Amino acid sequence: MVVKIPSHPKYLCIVREVTAKVGHIHGIGEDLVEQLKLAVDEACANVIKYAYGGDARKRIVIRYKVDRGWFEVVIEDSGVKADPEAIMGRRLEEVRPGGLGVHFIKRCFDIFEFDGKKKNGNRLRLVRYLKEKDEDRYNGA
Amino acid sequence: MKIDITEHNGAKVFSLSGDIDLYSSPALRKELIFFIGKKVPLLLVDFRDVSYIDSSGIATLVEGLRGMMSHGGKLKLFGIPERIVEIFAFSKLDKVFDICGSLDDAVKD
Repeated sequence: MVVKIPSHPKYLCIVREVTAKVGHIHGIGEDLVEQLKLAVDEACANVIKYAYGGDARKRIVIRYKVDRGWFEVVIEDSGVKADPEAIMGRRLEEVRPGGLGVHFIKRCFDIFEFDGKKKNGNRLRLVRYLKEKDEDRYNGA
Repeated sequence: MKIDITEHNGAKVFSLSGDIDLYSSPALRKELIFFIGKKVPLLLVDFRDVSYIDSSGIATLVEGLRGMMSHGGKLKLFGIPERIVEIFAFSKLDKVFDICGSLDDAVKD
């Protein structure tokens, strides 16, 4: 399933709705659906803020792939390349605005990786294992 | 997100409804900054009808809390749905914000 949205924050609600629906259709429990919704929203918000620097005229492509053992989301943009080494949230003990989004993404998804082969822009792959034993199955798929 | 601003026993009450996200949080920030500038002593945020909050919404509230504290004021949150309380707890902000069950609890010192 593929969703393409303009890079304007007003379209993030669509991403949340679709993420939740995809989760529900595949029988994922409500608590995890909420986490997935928040994490995918945060990842797209980061594209808007950092990759596109707030330019609302660009495009974000979100691809969903779900199997019994895993929930995969691939988010693509054509913006400024992210530096994976520099992506880290603030220490949670530190009370200040900002720096939480990446924590919401990483607590939900088991795999958080940028595709280094993409020439222009970013391709972020997020994978959540739905059952521990399915990790090997995903890696072999 | 919709913001209704009322008064209750001298406190400003922000009743929020809907989603607080990257799109809507600037409107909340604008209102918070306005009342922080007026040095209101107590600002209460009613979360009962909030369906969603992301990191930008939380960042806005952290900024609001700091702004209120800068003049000796207080910012309290009340009626937060369980799912959203969990987000505050994960962020370790449940101990930073004064989180109350109801409006009556929030107006008590």
